[in-house]
Amino acid sequence: MKKLIQMTINDRAYEVAVEPNKTLADLIRYDLGLTGTKKGCDTGDCGACTVILNGDPVNSCLVLAVQADNAVIETIEGLSTDDGLHPLQQAFVEKGAIQCGFCTPGMILSAKNLLDKNPAPTEAEIREGISGNLCRCTGYQKIFEAIESTRS
Amino acid sequence: MLLPKFEFHEPESIEKALALKKQLNSGARFLAGGTDLLVYLKKKIVSTDHVISLQRIDGLGEIQENESNLFIGACTTMAAISRHPAVLKRFCALKSGADNMGTHLIRNRATIGGNVCNASPAGDTLPALLVYDAVALVESPDGKREIPLTDFFKGPGKTDLKNDDILTGFRLPYPPDHSGAHYIQLGKRKSAEINVVNAASFLTCEPGTSNILSARIALGSVAPTPIRAPEAEAALMGRTAGDDTFNAAAETARFKDCSPIDDFRGSAAYRRAMVGVLTKRTLAEAFDQARA
Ligand SMILES: Cc1cc2nc3c(=O)[nH]c(=O)nc-3n(C[C@H](O)[C@H](O)[C@H](O)COP(=O)(O)OP(=O)(O)OC[C@H]3O[C@@H](n4cnc5c(N)ncnc54)[C@H](O)[C@@H]3O)c2cc1C
Ligand code: FES
Ligand code: FES
Repeated sequence: MKKLIQMTINDRAYEVAVEPNKTLADLIRYDLGLTGTKKGCDTGDCGACTVILNGDPVNSCLVLAVQADNAVIETIEGLSTDDGLHPLQQAFVEKGAIQCGFCTPGMILSAKNLLDKNPAPTEAEIREGISGNLCRCTGYQKIFEAIESTRS
Repeated sequence: MLLPKFEFHEPESIEKALALKKQLNSGARFLAGGTDLLVYLKKKIVSTDHVISLQRIDGLGEIQENESNLFIGACTTMAAISRHPAVLKRFCALKSGADNMGTHLIRNRATIGGNVCNASPAGDTLPALLVYDAVALVESPDGKREIPLTDFFKGPGKTDLKNDDILTGFRLPYPPDHSGAHYIQLGKRKSAEINVVNAASFLTCEPGTSNILSARIALGSVAPTPIRAPEAEAALMGRTAGDDTFNAAAETARFKDCSPIDDFRGSAAYRRAMVGVLTKRTLAEAFDQARA
């Protein structure tokens, strides 16, 4: 039976009826059309589906949409403003931290969460902060440099 | 990967959750953080018609500092355990287990009750819970009961819980003064890795001396369940802490207490050797804390 849930995504209120067996990742991508959230493995290993759920980054492929009833969610689409890209997004572009781009939304959300909670992370903390996000292309170094360039 | 169809229930109390489970019988499964259950459902390792979420039950996600022990609710996440002041101050080996589980994304969802119910021989919080003498608190339609964690694990993925039981939390007695504990996990990489061997040790020393008053060692990934190492513990009791004593205990753990197997993560012989190394290292670190 479908269940009616409410959530706020990127400051916009949503009310949707969902099947209990739909994951938050599938709801965000296929029902709400926010395709910046990627699906790589669907089993919690790759981090491509990272979203920030009530202030904490999680694998949205391992959260049921019904579990996110009344939640406040941030996806990659919520980061840029009328003034342009978020500083982290800009740094990823400038430092060449994006190749195919599949891991990028998750990487940036993990990095944003890290910097929001710890504005001056050490090298080890940056690497730990993105250790739940796999990248097949860059070898991580450029991603690391992009995040490092935005820390205070 | 599609999840099979199921009905979703979100009871607000333990009583309601127990009643639902009884009514739906074996067709229902409890859901905590979902990092095991949703993966198993997607991979069709388990199936269910009803999922009963424990997430909205008050108190199950809390940590309480009681007079002589710490209560950790079953639905407390690894992230919450890792930053709780009482865990940091008195249960550093548990903090280390919680910090080493999966990735930071997984740790924001995964619960300690789920880790224990999943009963993997390699589970990252289990050795620390064992050496801290944790007691599992269980509720069923017939009432409440307590299971010492040493009696909880029955095999890979198998526990002492009955179909109608809810694990509500754990009670960990505060370690006495002059105690120390340490946990080490050995894997092929640092993040999101299933352990090859993991071990925790706990020591209490007589004040002002190096005499060992009590010792507990727990080993993971080297038997069908996480285990205590009684022979190695006996080799420490009443002895003077130090390299010779720790080496002797490590050899005992290596050859008498564990029964590892060969698999693609490591050979039985390598695991045995690492039981020795990790036992020695965790004891030495526990001792440093105990005399600090
Ligand atoms: C990418 C990834 C990496 C991982 N890495 C690690 C790791 O490094 N170390 C490690 O130990 N584990 C790891 N895990 C496994 C998993 O995250 C942990 O076992 C976690 O603690 C499970 O908790 P949960 O709350 O998500 O459990 P759930 O999936 O919600 O539940 C697990 C099982 O326990 C039952 N259950 C849960 N809570 C209760 C309760 N209170 N009462 C009765 N039954 C209950 C459920 O019915 C279910 O059968 C990993 C998983 C993933 C996906
Ligand atoms: S798609 Fe969710 S972690 Fe890979
Ligand atoms: S840029 Fe291709 S996966 Fe990271």
